[in-house]
Amino acid sequence: MSEKGGSLLVAEFEANFPYDYSAGRFASYFFKQLKDKKQITGIRCPKCQRVFVPPRPACGYCFVGNTEWVPLGDEGTLWAYTIVQFPFLDPMTGQERPIPYGYGYIELEGASTRLQHFVTASDLNKLRIGMRMKAVFREERKGDLADILYFKAIEK
Amino acid sequence: MDKWLQELEPIVVHQELKVPYRYSMGAAASKFFIEMRDQKRILGIRCPKCSVVFVPPRSSCGRCFSPLEEWVEVSDRGTLQTYTIVHYPTAVQPIPPPFIYGVIKLDGADTGLGHLVSETNFESLRIGMRVQAVFKEERAGNMLDIKYFKPI
Repeated sequence: MSEKGGSLLVAEFEANFPYDYSAGRFASYFFKQLKDKKQITGIRCPKCQRVFVPPRPACGYCFVGNTEWVPLGDEGTLWAYTIVQFPFLDPMTGQERPIPYGYGYIELEGASTRLQHFVTASDLNKLRIGMRMKAVFREERKGDLADILYFKAIEK
Repeated sequence: MDKWLQELEPIVVHQELKVPYRYSMGAAASKFFIEMRDQKRILGIRCPKCSVVFVPPRSSCGRCFSPLEEWVEVSDRGTLQTYTIVHYPTAVQPIPPPFIYGVIKLDGADTGLGHLVSETNFESLRIGMRVQAVFKEERAGNMLDIKYFKPI
């Protein structure tokens, strides 16, 4: 704790909240494929055939168990995006994210749902809905969603 | 069972959420801590209407809402009103467990002060026992400038 001088004190400190959570069976499989094979995997509902990514145990429409794992590519379409100007804190480090940065929804080839992640292009102002995006992976993957660093626009 | 389930390695995700804090202590608390830091004196504040002496001090009376301005010095000795022994470690604790949290009513104060109690074994703790503040040599202007209260 550090307090500034003067007659009005200001306390500055960093509270640390470590937490562990169990990813669950389906997320664990998803992260393992991501870590070992750089593979993004969706899961298919046996009834309506929708492919969910990130995967979930049951279909949100049919309420039946999802059964079939579907390897998806690492390319998709930018469905929506925003350019963030406010330096939100990265919860892993407590530090402000460098701004501006892009964040969007990517519809991967073969998936029925969209994946949220950071998006970028050679210039953020070039981002457009409908652009083709490709996942950029971390070199040393750990088995979490940050193994995908961001999706980058495929530009000519 | 499906093959993928049989071979599954369940993942436990460990994250460290860091929350940076920056808060202004306010006029009353600032004066309280500055006095402790610089003079090793503990101050309370008295309500003009109900005569209650608040320790730690505050800007307005919690009972009648009168503005508080009358500062009084209270003793560094007091009576242990209640206590608990903490065994379970959590992320935000002043010291690692096991330790004793006590509520101490300092002589001259009408409210209890929450703080650590030490230099005693757990079995000797008694409600009503007399305790005294032990100050740190190097003080920064916060509640931990009192290291803990010890039995006297």
